[in-house]
Amino acid sequence: MKSQESIPTSKVARATQFAKAGVKVGTNYIKHYSKRIFDSSLTKEDLHTSNAADVYETLSNLKGSALKVAQMMSMDKSILPRAYSDKFAMAQYSAPPLSAPLVIKTFKKYFNKSPLDIFDKFDLNAQNAASIGQVHLAEKNGRKLAVKIQYPGIAESISSDLKMARPLAVQLLNLNDADIDRYFSEVEYKLIEESDYDLELKRSIEITKACAHIPDLFFPKYYPEYSSNRILTMDWIEGLHLKEFLDTNPSQEIRNKIGQALWDFYDYQMHTLRQVHADPHPGNFLMTADGRLGIIDFGCIKVIPDDYYDNYFALINPDTLNNDAEIKRIFWTLEFILKEDSPKQQVFFTDLFKKMIQLLGRPFDTHVFDFGQNGYVDEIYDFLEKVAKMPELRSANAARGSQHGLYVNRTYFGLYTILNDLKAVVNITKPVWLTPKHLQIKG
Amino acid sequence: MKNKLGEISLKDKIVKAYISHLLENGYKPNSIFEFCKKMKISEADFYEEFTSFSAIEQQVWKGFFTNALVQAKSEEVYDNYTVREKLLSFYYTWLEILKANRSFILRNFDQIKRPLCLHKNDEFTEFKHVFYDFANELLMEARETREVEQRAIPQIMERYPDIFWAKTMYILEFWVFDSSKSFEKSDTLIEKSVNTVFDLLARSPLDSLLDLGKFIFNNRK
Repeated sequence: MKSQESIPTSKVARATQFAKAGVKVGTNYIKHYSKRIFDSSLTKEDLHTSNAADVYETLSNLKGSALKVAQMMSMDKSILPRAYSDKFAMAQYSAPPLSAPLVIKTFKKYFNKSPLDIFDKFDLNAQNAASIGQVHLAEKNGRKLAVKIQYPGIAESISSDLKMARPLAVQLLNLNDADIDRYFSEVEYKLIEESDYDLELKRSIEITKACAHIPDLFFPKYYPEYSSNRILTMDWIEGLHLKEFLDTNPSQEIRNKIGQALWDFYDYQMHTLRQVHADPHPGNFLMTADGRLGIIDFGCIKVIPDDYYDNYFALINPDTLNNDAEIKRIFWTLEFILKEDSPKQQVFFTDLFKKMIQLLGRPFDTHVFDFGQNGYVDEIYDFLEKVAKMPELRSANAARGSQHGLYVNRTYFGLYTILNDLKAVVNITKPVWLTPKHLQIKG
Repeated sequence: MKNKLGEISLKDKIVKAYISHLLENGYKPNSIFEFCKKMKISEADFYEEFTSFSAIEQQVWKGFFTNALVQAKSEEVYDNYTVREKLLSFYYTWLEILKANRSFILRNFDQIKRPLCLHKNDEFTEFKHVFYDFANELLMEARETREVEQRAIPQIMERYPDIFWAKTMYILEFWVFDSSKSFEKSDTLIEKSVNTVFDLLARSPLDSLLDLGKFIFNNRK
């Protein structure tokens, strides 16, 4: 990978980058509508595609928080038109790296040794960039290693970067203020947590140990002796990212195998560990031709509190949805309905959220679910888009659904999206108490 | 520096004694006579090496520079670096050396005229001299590798080492007042400022514009 020629320097320079994107998006709209006068076949989709290209170009020149925003937006297909999210998905694979002397300096700071002395081989050119660091390929005693190095000073610049990204996000996402605030405070929290490599090392080791028994999954081994709070060393994992993997035309059997591994991984985390890898974006999964799934990057782990868990998953059981009193109680606890709501609003939101849960919980109502079936993920997508456009929600100032809900919903939505891309048929393993009566074996 | 016999030269001994006197007492020795007596050397030997205390300080700053450069060059990848990376590598090593001597630097920093990049300070005279050699060497290499554009106006080209020097002084001043954890912000400044300077010196749209302007001017009717 070619090293970045220039990094936008001061805050002013970074701000101009954002401004550029704004102007370009504006120009695209003008171009679009003037073209439409002559060619009515141009669709909104074309417009979104050219917007996304420009916005992505701008964001990829920045690092850290801005890149993270791009990643999160690409994950949240629910609130972004598809063209944007496809383009943003690229942000998950590449961004320009930092200079070789700085890499060496960082190593010397933490290990008093150059990486060239620590490892048998060390490639000074980064293989790829994550949102807050870059990954180098190294070799020690014949093992290939991935060494993740955090950009110096990135942790301190998180909040100021996010403030600059805000106007652009408002323009693109079209959300109300309360949602934007929540969205940004969440990104900030996540980033700060992700910049703590000590924590990531600890969690990675814990979770990989706990999930080691799940078939067809594999994890890198982590090396505390070559890690510090700015450097993280683990095994280099072979495998392809989702898009590249699909390009190799894997058989249905292999797709199912990987899909099943993914489902089991999340099922176990959600219901047994009660803490989940809450970042199911395709960049974190590597797939092999023989149908195994490698999982990397445990920077974002969400712990699910017990009372939230009990309430939320009670809803997923289709039996609960027929019990109106119970639904009402849960909706109040989870803050889907707020005490400021008028009775009319209460009815409206109850209906809305009921529909949403029915939709998201549909796989739980069967033993085997075909995620490849046309339409299921699109149906969710359309529904969420419709919801986003509802004037009732737009005008509501308060954000709805508790903070935890955001993660859990996103995790499931991310999971479904990947399974849908894989076109996998999956056995829906789930705890007994979540299984609706008609699926339970009688006797 | 050690001489051929592996002994520390008198010059280095004097520098070392001077620094420790400063750090322990917080002020310069009262006189060269007193300083020599304490060091158990003759005044004549002292004058052989230095003419004043200020000359010692100059030597100290020059020493930081040469040490940094030697260390940076000892890194096996140094020769394969681009000019941009060579300069980066020098700055990072230099800051490490400064860090080891931070007490000495902070001690008399309030007597130094600031901003550093606009004033001429005697302390840096020797340092500046060797730094310019280094900068010229880098610039020559950069012109060969086309990292720096050969521009038609020599008055501008001649100023390039000055830009590097001013930047060095700016980094030093930033570092002195840097309160971030293990001076991470200074590292970031180095990375960004070196990139910026090289981007400015590389071929830019302005060069093409100038070129075009020249052509049009020469072919006007």
